[in-house]
Amino acid sequence: MKADQTVTLNLPATADYVDIVRLNLYGIASKMGFSYEDIEDMKVAVSEACNNSVLYAYGQEGGLVEVVFGVTREELTITVKDEGVSFSLPGNEPSDTAPTLHDKDLHDVEIGGLGFYLMQALMDDVSVASESGKGTQVILTKRLTRSEEKV
Amino acid sequence: MTTNKNDKFNARTVSEEGKSIVYLSGELDLSVAPDFRLVMEPLVGDSEVDLAINLKELKYIDSTGIGILLSILKARHSANASFSVEEVPTQIQKLFDMTGIAKFFEPQENSQ
Repeated sequence: MKADQTVTLNLPATADYVDIVRLNLYGIASKMGFSYEDIEDMKVAVSEACNNSVLYAYGQEGGLVEVVFGVTREELTITVKDEGVSFSLPGNEPSDTAPTLHDKDLHDVEIGGLGFYLMQALMDDVSVASESGKGTQVILTKRLTRSEEKV
Repeated sequence: MTTNKNDKFNARTVSEEGKSIVYLSGELDLSVAPDFRLVMEPLVGDSEVDLAINLKELKYIDSTGIGILLSILKARHSANASFSVEEVPTQIQKLFDMTGIAKFFEPQENSQ
C-alpha cells in the first residue's frame, strides 16, 4: 500500500542511535492511535532490524541506516535500509523458520538468530530484500486495529 | 562515547551472604550490551554465590540482551550454579515466552 505520508530518518549505523529510532517510532505510532502493546512490539521489531544493519552491514567502516515510516489510515510500514554488505537471515526463504529455543535443551542452545524470529512474531508482515553490493532492506508492517471504530 | 549511558541503562549489584542480586534499569540494548557483560562477568564466574537479576525497572530488552542472559544461563548451568530472574515486567516476560528462554528460568530440580 502506498503511504499517505512518510517520515524519513538517516542515522549513523551505530548502536548508539538505535534508541532514536525507537523514540521516533513511539511518536508516530501513538499519533496514529496504536495501542501501548502494539507500540512495544514494534519497538522491539524495528530495533532488531536496525541491529542487523549496525552489526552486519558495514563492518568496521561507518555507514548510514535509513529508516522510513510510511503512514496510512490502516497501517504503519517501517522500512530499514542500509547500503552495506547484504546479509542472509534465517527465515529469509519462505520455507525456513527462524529458530527459537522452545524445543532445545540449554546445552544445545546457540546464541543468536533470535532477532529475526522476534521481527516475524511481533509484526503482521516482514519482508527482506537484499541485493549483493546494494545492501539490505527490511520492511515491517503493523496494521492498525481500532477497537472503538464507529460503523 | 559521548552519550550518557548511565541515563540509559544502569546495573546495580547488591551482594549479601551467599547471594548477589543485580538490579537493572532503563533499556538493555546493543549499545549497552558490553557494559552489562562487564558487570556480570565476575558474578557469573563465582559459582559459590546464588545469582539473580531483578528486572522491575527494566523498560526494554532486545535480542542482544536476551542473548547475554542465555550465555549466563549456560555458564551457570555448567558450573552447577543458580541464576534466576525476579520481578519481570509483562512486556519483557512476553519476549521471554516468545523466544523460549522463559523455560530456562523456571525453578530447576537439581537431579545431581
